[in-house]
Amino acid sequence: MFSSLKEKVGQVLVPGDEFGFEAEDSISLTESAKPERVVCGPGLRRSGDRLVVSKSGVLRHKPPHCFWIESQQRRYIPAKGETVIGIVTAKSGDVFKVDVGSSEQASLSYLAFEGATKRNRPNVQVGDLVFAQFIIANKDMEPELVCIDGSGRANGMGVFGAGGLLFKVSLGLVRRLLAPHSDIRADLDRLFPCELVVGLNGRVWVRSSSTQQTLIVANLLQSCDTMTAAQRQQLFRKVQQGAL
Amino acid sequence: MAAGFKTAEPLEYHRSFLKENCRPDGRELSEFRTTTLNIGSITTADGSALVKMGNTTIICGIKAELANPTVDAPGKGYIVPNVDLPPLCSSRFRPGPPGEQAQAASQFIADVIESSEVIETEDLCIDRGKLCWVLYCDIMCLDYDGNILDAAVVALLAALRNTQLPEVTVNKETSTPEVNFEKRHRLHIHKHPVGTSFCVFDDSVLIVDPTAEEESLSTAQLTVVTDEDDRLCSLHKPGGSSMSGEKLQECINRATARQREIQKLIEKVTHSVTTAQ
Amino acid sequence: MMEVSASSVSLREFGCEQTLLSRPDGSASFVQGDTSVMAGVYGPAEVKVSKEIYDRATLEVLIQPKVGLPGVRERSQEQCVRETCEAALLLSLHPRSSLTLILQVLHDDGSLLGCCLNAACMALMDAGLSMSCLFCGVSCAITADGRIITDPTAAQEKESRALMTFAIDSTERRVIMSSTKGSFSVHELQQCIAVSQKASEKIFHFYRDSVRRRYSKNL
Repeated sequence: MFSSLKEKVGQVLVPGDEFGFEAEDSISLTESAKPERVVCGPGLRRSGDRLVVSKSGVLRHKPPHCFWIESQQRRYIPAKGETVIGIVTAKSGDVFKVDVGSSEQASLSYLAFEGATKRNRPNVQVGDLVFAQFIIANKDMEPELVCIDGSGRANGMGVFGAGGLLFKVSLGLVRRLLAPHSDIRADLDRLFPCELVVGLNGRVWVRSSSTQQTLIVANLLQSCDTMTAAQRQQLFRKVQQGAL
Repeated sequence: MAAGFKTAEPLEYHRSFLKENCRPDGRELSEFRTTTLNIGSITTADGSALVKMGNTTIICGIKAELANPTVDAPGKGYIVPNVDLPPLCSSRFRPGPPGEQAQAASQFIADVIESSEVIETEDLCIDRGKLCWVLYCDIMCLDYDGNILDAAVVALLAALRNTQLPEVTVNKETSTPEVNFEKRHRLHIHKHPVGTSFCVFDDSVLIVDPTAEEESLSTAQLTVVTDEDDRLCSLHKPGGSSMSGEKLQECINRATARQREIQKLIEKVTHSVTTAQ
Repeated sequence: MMEVSASSVSLREFGCEQTLLSRPDGSASFVQGDTSVMAGVYGPAEVKVSKEIYDRATLEVLIQPKVGLPGVRERSQEQCVRETCEAALLLSLHPRSSLTLILQVLHDDGSLLGCCLNAACMALMDAGLSMSCLFCGVSCAITADGRIITDPTAAQEKESRALMTFAIDSTERRVIMSSTKGSFSVHELQQCIAVSQKASEKIFHFYRDSVRRRYSKNL
């Protein structure tokens, strides 16, 4: 299975494509047979002894044995450990309700902020933006967010300050922005200095030295989805010449 | 114990029966419930029939009215079927405008009438371009226990056979229709379409004539309509688990056998009604 | 199973575009000859309490005709499309949520239900919903002299003796949905199924090509 998966890395697959164990996978007599291990990410599903693709997209591989399907999606589905930008929509008792763009609102306890205690409540108003992390996210339960890491530190999470602009992009673009050594980020760095917060739920928050520059960055990012790398670099260059 | 098991794990409960090739009500997989037919149950209608298949009860009344033919088919009358699933027949239906299931059933019956040519609509024409019969076929479910499509087709067919239309003559001078209620004649039934419904359990086990409970637990449903010449009038499978051509052939074979049974039943009941009069 | 040569199956020119609308989570338009349908998918989104199902997502399908309001015919087509999609989608992955699929008929020149199914499949794929397999719709008409025409135009549909539409799944090429009009023999039915299965290969091939085209920018 490993070799057949490896062959297809970088190719476009559609739901229903299958990978099975090959019977003729040569068994050597000298070496003891190593059990094959494959870790399946999003878009791959086990069905009996086969691996079935359930989303359309490009097959990606991360050594040693992680495989997943990279797809362009717009709707966010919560996953444990992911950091997102949420909008506080209600205060009810000791939890805030936060809209993260998924099918259900997430809850965020007022104690899940750095330094918060029963007496010292964090200052969060309805309508505020929060950058938070999922600690509970599965299909059967209400998702739950926190603004602290395991050691109780904010670690960059919490309520957003004033100013800035929030906008939505596709989930694929967000993942490309967050990838280490992202080329889009590198291109953007060359343009203007700006503050960028990227949530895995497709929301991006930008603040820069002037409103004009903030809007330029927002528009550039939103148009990145439908461009090839060459087209993007050309556009960025044009903006740079026009703006400077 | 069994009742608790049935409530907690309905699917598992059914599976344990299907494993033994039988069903919770004692039937075999390809066995229909007892079908009883009563013809002419509504005396005020021009034709009517009541069908019971197990608990499922369907009544069909036919009302004939005079009307003008449509412009694009001046030599034809028309048939307007309507399936009603009132809140009376099951708790799943709410009062108000017909739901999706009732509308889909109405469309199915209309398609069957059109495809099978059970009645030549030309026969309903009285005066070309001026006067024709409209048959309003109201099919109502009184008790919903699954498989309403089969029961509705049988009820419709029996009611059509029971229908007697009065003779109509058009007065040449006043050009008004004159209806002679004394002289009635039967409709000419060209074909006898009969439906057979199936349910698929767990994408593999095929059962015939499902009850409401079996319908709700099944992964697919399909209805095959055949006539006496073994021609198919409809193969209606709205979706659900996929089936191969061979599996469909099995269903068609069962459906043709069912068509014979029902036609015999209708003949018998019509005969007993006419001799009783 | 009957043998059908590929040359005997002729489909009209077909085309597809994905992600053409900005608001829905997934969208697609599918064109077969002059028949054209646009589809949009929203979801998984919040569900009304009355429609909530505890162990799977609620799927709603709406078909909007080109003119006028949807009637009984559309309702019955909606049922067919919905149950076909339910068979292909893995709805149990998103319990207590709602999926809405809207199909807007842009032009009807025959094989409408087939085109609706194709547009629906492309839109669901575009929305990134998990599916166990793909499906496609194929319409066949039987002419008065017994010939089988795949993907008929409206004029051919009118002259035909019988018209059938099948939904075929991509893994085993079996029949998910069947909707027929007119009377036909058992042999003709089996022949039509075989022809549709053959035609489905072409459509699935096209699906793959259009998805590949879509992802060509970030390969």
